[in-house]
Amino acid sequence: MKVDPHSNPRQSHQGIWILAEAHQGRLLDVSLELLGSAARLAAQRPQPVWAVLFGHGVEPLIPTLWEHGADTVLAVDDPALGWFNDEEQAALLGRLLRQHRPEILLAGASAVGRALAPRVAVAESCGLTADCTGLEIDPASGALLQTRPAFGGSLMATIRSDAFLPQMATVRPGVMKRLDPVPGRRGGLVRESLRPEERRGLKQLLEWLPSSGGEEGFGNASFIITGGRGMRGAEGFELLRRFAAKVGGAVGATRAAVDAGWAPYAIQIGQTGRTVQPRIYLACGVSGQIQHLVGMQGSDLIIAINPDPAAPIMAMADIAIVGDAFAILPELIALIQP
Amino acid sequence: MPNSQDTRYRVEVSPPKHGAETLTARLERFAARYRQVIAAGHAVCITDNAMGHLCFQGHELIRELGLPVPPGQVMIHLNTFHTLADLHWILDGCAELGVTELLVVSGDGAARLPKLAPAEVGGAGASVTSVELLAYIRRHYGRQFRLGAAFNPYEPAEHELEKLRRKVAAGADFIITQPITRANPLVGQIKGELKIPVILEAWMSPKLSLLSDCIGYDLGDASAFDPLACLAELHRSYPGSGFYLALLDFKTQFDRLPAGGAA
Amino acid sequence: MKIVVCIKQVPGVSAVSLDPETKRLVREGVKSILNPFDLHALEAGVRLKERHGGELVAISMGPPKAEQALREALALGADQAVLLCDKRFAGSDTWATSYVLARAIATLGNVGLVICGKQAIDGDTAQVGPGIAAHLGWPQATGVTALEVAADDGSLAVTRQQDGGHDRLRLPPPAVLAVFKELNQPRVPRLSGWLAAERAPVPVWNAEAIGADPALVGLNASPTRVVRTGPPPPRNKDSRRIETTPAAAAAQLFHELRRIAAI
Repeated sequence: MKVDPHSNPRQSHQGIWILAEAHQGRLLDVSLELLGSAARLAAQRPQPVWAVLFGHGVEPLIPTLWEHGADTVLAVDDPALGWFNDEEQAALLGRLLRQHRPEILLAGASAVGRALAPRVAVAESCGLTADCTGLEIDPASGALLQTRPAFGGSLMATIRSDAFLPQMATVRPGVMKRLDPVPGRRGGLVRESLRPEERRGLKQLLEWLPSSGGEEGFGNASFIITGGRGMRGAEGFELLRRFAAKVGGAVGATRAAVDAGWAPYAIQIGQTGRTVQPRIYLACGVSGQIQHLVGMQGSDLIIAINPDPAAPIMAMADIAIVGDAFAILPELIALIQP
Repeated sequence: MPNSQDTRYRVEVSPPKHGAETLTARLERFAARYRQVIAAGHAVCITDNAMGHLCFQGHELIRELGLPVPPGQVMIHLNTFHTLADLHWILDGCAELGVTELLVVSGDGAARLPKLAPAEVGGAGASVTSVELLAYIRRHYGRQFRLGAAFNPYEPAEHELEKLRRKVAAGADFIITQPITRANPLVGQIKGELKIPVILEAWMSPKLSLLSDCIGYDLGDASAFDPLACLAELHRSYPGSGFYLALLDFKTQFDRLPAGGAA
Repeated sequence: MKIVVCIKQVPGVSAVSLDPETKRLVREGVKSILNPFDLHALEAGVRLKERHGGELVAISMGPPKAEQALREALALGADQAVLLCDKRFAGSDTWATSYVLARAIATLGNVGLVICGKQAIDGDTAQVGPGIAAHLGWPQATGVTALEVAADDGSLAVTRQQDGGHDRLRLPPPAVLAVFKELNQPRVPRLSGWLAAERAPVPVWNAEAIGADPALVGLNASPTRVVRTGPPPPRNKDSRRIETTPAAAAAQLFHELRRIAAI
């Protein structure tokens, strides 16, 4: 244990870094959202915004980062960075942090961000707040105030870690707003390379297995479409699956639908099933018994389609549509571009 | 055909929950209640992870605590939230101990509990319900067990009656209703139509609101509920019927049960 | 060779309430449970032990009552359990917690593999696994959904979830894994396992026992500070009702979904 959190006195740190992530030649949405967040923080506490981009063949993505708000892109392009090797990337990022001394580092709460950030935070003896949904600068101290949900969203905690720099946070995807891109905006470019001592060689990639899609389950679905007894049978769930495929969502079911044998238990939502908190929750033919509501009430936007205007789900919904899902969903599917 | 077994009171005894804390004391309390029910000539009914709470299985409690299993005096609930291996562990354990009566239900899930998959029990639907489980036990254990199934008079009648027909076709030998607090037309209807015994569940807790929560249906006037009076009234409404007693209070109610339950 | 599983005792509720006066968590009456994600880590450890031998040790940093979570690990098949408990550990954030766990792992000695659950359901940070790996300087793999140990050289083949798919990696022990629930279905412990766990010793180690620097544990050594807690923002109150023809309802919903960039 050579690390010591007290060995990091506040020095001349400056800059807001975001960790940009690319997979299969595309930037993750959350990377552009982080740039939006960084720009708003820089407006409160002026300092340059840098995007750190590790990967192989990522050069073509640099202009996108500039256009979305990066003042400078710090790019490391190396075949060894073409897949996520925790130890190499942590060693590289740690060295760059010591070299350039940013005040803030933001990463997406993605698979990579949630693995890399804590490893780096421990190695560099700084704090890390996971899965933030709110970031702001404390006007008095200039500290980064990091707000995150805990206990499954029933509690919000605000955290600061400015005694140890950089202040690090991972940010929940889909929460922060990206900036409107400015076509042709250009920024600085700093190229770095992976040093021999950072090539740890501990891990070996055997195989990459892309998602086939279509698996049952919620994963990180931000749009969940749930059917209840009003879906009348397994065919009703076929309609929901068709709609879910159109919007890139996942299908859920109430206990009544699972007990009737129309849907597998793996997708049951409620007290005796799963608890979900998607961005959008669309309930079709769901009456809204309390045992179901406790499993989805944390959703950001709740939409219900039910012929019974007095059904409990309609009182909870942000958008309550009185009607029949069998009539409305096919119309909606037709409206959405293929 | 109603027989003497079916007019016995079936008294639910909750098995202890998993956990090492005060385990010995909790096991002793369970054993005492179990023996008390048996001694009074009633049947003990042991639930299977009710409300998704992980509890000890009836058969392992009987074996570990050396409890008696007089014929027809022990019924074990069995639901669909098990691995196939554990399902057979339970069924084989029951068979070995002489437990012959099983109440087969879909059951309450929880993240902690596995769920039987349709492919494992030969089901064609998207999920395994009590219907598939009844058929599976019948196929693999023949007439080894007397199998019960549940009936919920609070769900939409058309839906529930159709499910009931499938449960009977899958091999149910008797039916136990959800708790009723007064004569219920739907229960009356199935008692008239079915050729197998229909046992009525009586709610023995004075807290009627708990039952309302369980079934998701407001039963009203929760303040003035008298379970023993209600049971007596049900005896009058359904003479000769068997009763299943849920949440019986062993201190205040056990010795005051109306006659007609004991074998 | 030892396999260490790190576990945590957490409040047994998916939602907590805040005292409106003190704005602190209401902990009275809330039962503590073993963090559900850790069950998958334990199951992975038990299966590796069953297949390849070795000794399975469960460790937990927490207050004295966290011993109950360790007893559950013993009931599930751990050979040994150690509670890391010291007043000076109180208030540790993930930096200091992973330091304490790493020191305990170093103290145990001869550890080839450390397995953690995905995250704890109270903090949801998922930081302690990588933190332990960083403190020990060992390689890590998070989001593990499949795990095998090669018979010849003991290397680990893991499948881990990434954005857009999975990758398969080989890594040499000693290593730290954080496993997802997709990895396995945790077994349900038996009553006999619980009875043995109830009697087993659970040693308690303090800062000195693990050679931890007291300046690196607890609140004062934690880089993060909670400055306030509060309820989540209230639900959107301006709910809308749409009551029209199916085509018009679909059109309104379409525009709404497009407005919020859901389609």
